[in-house]
Amino acid sequence: MFTKKQPWQRRDTGLTARMIVSFAILAILYIIFLSVLAYVGVSAIAIAVIAGILILAQWYFSDKIVLWSTGAKIVSREQFPELHDLVERIVARNNLSKPRIAVVNSRMPNAFATGKTPKSSIVAVTVGLMDQLDPEELEGVIAHELAHIKNRDVLILTLASLFSTMAWYLMRFGMYGGMYGGGHGRRGNEGGAAMLLILLVAIITWIASFLIIRAISRYREYVADRDGALITGKPSKLASALLKISGTMKRIPTRDLREVEGMNAFFIIPALSGDTLTSLFSTHPPVDQRVKKLMEMEAAMS
Amino acid sequence: MGLKVTGRCALTFKTVSGTFFYEMEQDIRQFLGNLQPEFDLTWRTTTDSYGYMWIIFEGKRIEDLLAGLTTVSDIVEERGFSDQLLAAVFEFSSEREQGRRTHQQYLIYNYKRNNFYPFVPTGQKTIDAEQQMKIMAAISEEIPFERDMTLWYPLWDLPLRSLG
Repeated sequence: MFTKKQPWQRRDTGLTARMIVSFAILAILYIIFLSVLAYVGVSAIAIAVIAGILILAQWYFSDKIVLWSTGAKIVSREQFPELHDLVERIVARNNLSKPRIAVVNSRMPNAFATGKTPKSSIVAVTVGLMDQLDPEELEGVIAHELAHIKNRDVLILTLASLFSTMAWYLMRFGMYGGMYGGGHGRRGNEGGAAMLLILLVAIITWIASFLIIRAISRYREYVADRDGALITGKPSKLASALLKISGTMKRIPTRDLREVEGMNAFFIIPALSGDTLTSLFSTHPPVDQRVKKLMEMEAAMS
Repeated sequence: MGLKVTGRCALTFKTVSGTFFYEMEQDIRQFLGNLQPEFDLTWRTTTDSYGYMWIIFEGKRIEDLLAGLTTVSDIVEERGFSDQLLAAVFEFSSEREQGRRTHQQYLIYNYKRNNFYPFVPTGQKTIDAEQQMKIMAAISEEIPFERDMTLWYPLWDLPLRSLG
């Protein structure tokens, strides 16, 4: 719809990129570690068990990894009384358990939730978010994050990625099987062809799971928008927060139509954008779609 | 979202000098002079500092307002001045939440793009972007709508209200 990449997608990258890089490094370490094990002759079953333990460990320590990679610090009531009050008001009204609260010292307005269970979860906001939003909008964003926790989205997405990770490992073991198992009495290039095929399947599996995870993630965002808006009863506040965070409002021009009329601004054919492609890869739906859905809710509620 | 037409709308086009344009203006004035009794409309014209002529209609029935606007734009187009047509503006008011200031709200129809976009001025060169987004959410499916927000150019100091 918009020809350029949404500003909020660019803004998001700072925080999410650090998380992705951290988890990617971990994944690479696993692969190296497991490959070494395979190389020294540890059996496939033992490697599967070790991989399982590693995935569980990552799951168990995911909060700490997220906090560490984003630079979020858990804050006490004394440090941020208003933020604590705001969260407590929402959870009390909706019978939710209060998450731990973290603050990221970043001027980019952003927020995220993490945690394995609703009780142990964390809601983090950036300093920029608290600075730019009014209390009702901040409430909307926090309610959205609380909805993620209530809906156990972290668990859903972790499970989804777990399947893709498992598929990946299975393919790898299949590959070793193709290399060592099929060697007796056959010509070498048959094993090579089998290996190529397995590699191809592995790549397709990984790409498919990558896209599916992103589709699930986008869907969960809509659900969290909806549930967050139900929690506060003010969909339009979350909508205006989204617009502020995304910088969408700043893109509306202030120059008069009569001044720009002669400047051929309207004859430029909007460039065919790679919008469908970027939307396939993004974890969040386009902000105008989210705003539209929220405003439809607002209209239905009033 | 409780948007209501106020019964005020306008059309604006850039004036040029020359006989053909003068003849077109006479056509328009002749049409405007004979509006009653067929249309229940009042009208006035004004020229702004940018050199744009405005024809402002007031009336109770939307059908009459639209008929007035389209007839004038048809005359402009028939006389070969369609490039001069800039915009049509429709005024709305809304019942907003209690305790909030209400502003006049507008839908601007851009003749170059053949679509509508919202305009909610709140003062000197300031807009209520949130309200504009709300209007977009409410009506973007129903009418040809400008989805590129970077083309939502304002029309400051609209002469729809200032009489005389």
